[in-house]
Amino acid sequence: MKQPSLYTLPSVRYRRKVTVFSLIVLLTVATCIYLGFDPLMLFTEFHYVVDLAGNMLPPNFELFRSNGHVWWAILETISMAFLGTIYGGLIAFVLAFLAASNTMPAWAVRQVVRFSLSLMRVIPSLVIILVFVVAIGLGPFAGMLTLVWTTIGTFGQLFTQVIENIEPGPSEAMYAIGASRTQVIRYAILPEIFPSFIANLLYSFDINMRAALALGIFGGGGIGFELYMAMRVLRYKDALALVCFTIVLITIVEKLSDHLRKKVLGAGALK
Amino acid sequence: MIEVKNLTKSLPNGRKLLDGISFTVNKGEFVGILGASGAGKTLTIRCLNGLLKPDSGEVIVEHDQGVRRDICSISKRQLKKVREKIGVIFQGFHLVKRLTALENVMIGRLGQINSVRSLVYGFTDKEAEEGLAALEKVKIQHLAEARVASMSGGEMQRVAIARAIFQNPNLLLADEPLSNLDPSNAKNIMKLIQPLSRDMPVIGVFHQPEMTAKYCTRVIAIKNGRVFYDGDPKLSDELLIEIYGEELRHLEANFFPEVQAVPITFTKNKPELHDRPNLSNL
Amino acid sequence: MLPVIALAIAVEGAALVCGANIRGLNSGLIRGFVFLGQMFPPDWSAFPELLGPAFDTIIIAILGTFFGTIISLGFGLAAASNVAPRWLRRLTRGMIRIERAIPEIVILLFLVAAFGLGPFGGVISLTIGCIGMLGKLFADAIEEIDPVSIEAIEALGASKFQVIYYGVLQPVIPAIISFALFRFELNIRLSVILGAVGAGGIGLELYRAFSLLDYNRGCSALIITLALVFITERLSEYLRSKVRLEGALR
Repeated sequence: MKQPSLYTLPSVRYRRKVTVFSLIVLLTVATCIYLGFDPLMLFTEFHYVVDLAGNMLPPNFELFRSNGHVWWAILETISMAFLGTIYGGLIAFVLAFLAASNTMPAWAVRQVVRFSLSLMRVIPSLVIILVFVVAIGLGPFAGMLTLVWTTIGTFGQLFTQVIENIEPGPSEAMYAIGASRTQVIRYAILPEIFPSFIANLLYSFDINMRAALALGIFGGGGIGFELYMAMRVLRYKDALALVCFTIVLITIVEKLSDHLRKKVLGAGALK
Repeated sequence: MIEVKNLTKSLPNGRKLLDGISFTVNKGEFVGILGASGAGKTLTIRCLNGLLKPDSGEVIVEHDQGVRRDICSISKRQLKKVREKIGVIFQGFHLVKRLTALENVMIGRLGQINSVRSLVYGFTDKEAEEGLAALEKVKIQHLAEARVASMSGGEMQRVAIARAIFQNPNLLLADEPLSNLDPSNAKNIMKLIQPLSRDMPVIGVFHQPEMTAKYCTRVIAIKNGRVFYDGDPKLSDELLIEIYGEELRHLEANFFPEVQAVPITFTKNKPELHDRPNLSNL
Repeated sequence: MLPVIALAIAVEGAALVCGANIRGLNSGLIRGFVFLGQMFPPDWSAFPELLGPAFDTIIIAILGTFFGTIISLGFGLAAASNVAPRWLRRLTRGMIRIERAIPEIVILLFLVAAFGLGPFGGVISLTIGCIGMLGKLFADAIEEIDPVSIEAIEALGASKFQVIYYGVLQPVIPAIISFALFRFELNIRLSVILGAVGAGGIGLELYRAFSLLDYNRGCSALIITLALVFITERLSEYLRSKVRLEGALR
């Protein structure tokens, strides 16, 4: 008979599978206990959810009519996201050229820029907003600056890769006929990456809208702040109304962003 | 045994894809189905397994203990039971790339194993042993623990055959099993499939008439959705032209010196026949 | 020319709304640097006691990703056109889209309102939050499976569950692991932020330190947070590249 060493017996495999599975289950239970996380609470203490639901429903849409402040907050959030995207995107764009190997020959400059971009990306936005709030005070300005920072962090690296990934052909051809670096960038590289840049800008607007909400809670102003305040003073009906509006707003921005992105990338492909 | 009666299938616009296909294949026969692209070969063989439902007709398959079932008219549950004992080999192999050869072979009996047991426990040691035996029959037992993703086309097709063998089928179907393989691998695969016909009817769709001429016991040619020819696997040149028409040019590339088929070359539009292969032209 | 003008107007308008002004920025920058100066040196004595919360943050992220992946797998299957009936697919895709629009912070706020502060809200928020991203990614991955894999398993008479396991799940397992690891990176950052809002962990410590003006302690917490994010990112990238190479970890 053939040596069993040609394959591992299914029964052995099964035992191994069971051991691994049991270990995972054990670890999960252990960590839950350690953390004090009891998933069953969701069911045993469900009445809290019911209570909350009772307090939240029906959502108080009157808020939008009675409280003009809310509309200003909405404007703040959108402006924050908008400016954060524009300025952050522009700066990231420029920095990307300084960090890409095919547009920046000086290795030292590249490394410095890349390191800075990495640093900006790694630091959580929570820290950034805290610093900005201390530096320039509460409000959407701090939020906007935070978004500029995080956009640079996220998209700086992305744009660098985009620039580095373009085909070397056209640029090489231009260098061969004696064009300067700026000319090559302007005529060979920019047209290639422009659609991608716009598409990413739209995408980052989508992301920044969501981020703007979160930052609002930490002093960034806007709807996030309104929501947080509403919940703290237990005005749950107002809070739910704000959340509903937020969902609608984010969905609209997302759809808009997707639609425009398709248009841009579609046109770019034809270029 | 499998008995095909009057299969028809039409497109919504009325064009007939299958127009009354009928034939019977018994144990001991290795049938090759030939035909031009779009003639209806693949449709036919997919009807034999229930992968395609014809508009009308019957496909009667002999299941275990002589029970006969018409695939076209049985319930889903009965179809599942019949399929357990029908082995199928595909052009694209259709294996689970992530798993090992042995696991892929054992998958063959999924229908015959209790669903819960197969998902919770897996396969038994005895099944693994028998799976290895199936791999031995196709001569790749040394690859039992190798991932399918790392194998060559020829090896993958062997695993597929082993999987079909492992089912202990009553019928073996093959849908262009050689089309993704190089010529020497194709030959080896045919050599592996042929002996299986001793225990069950084997029906295969092929694009290689020289292969069917050498290995099959019978050839069925389908043209325009109808059975055009049913008989001796060695086809004459006129027949080949009738079946394939323009496509014969492509078949020229599959010329094997050792196969005793008669090659045809085209000069201008008129086919010329030679009675001996002209190797200097190759 | 017109779009540029429109853009310029929009930017100006937005700047006005935000209260952005150069002077504020300048004085702010100075204050910012003074503040950063105050943060150094970090409070070294605080490091040991901050490790516990840091660990909590990691655990919250791991549990959130773990449970979230499992649930999202269910959603993914229910939202894939080649597995689920049309009505189920439409319903599930709609639910996934709605969940995507709700930031995890909002979920946490409600959970805190219902159940109080603590890691419970954190884990649940992250779990639910996974659905929007992973649900969609899994569903798309499942829909991209070559239908022949499913067909081949069906052809040998397997039951529906066997077909799903061997024909649908097996081919997508590498993608699942890869997406889950990607989401894990995101969840660590979220875990930090959610911590500050009430879920506990290093995020809370960071926020508290800054609120209490204990900037040196805040600096320590910041350093630990950075290390955490950095290490998990590297780990996730490494594991993901291994998955790409081998097709799965096992």
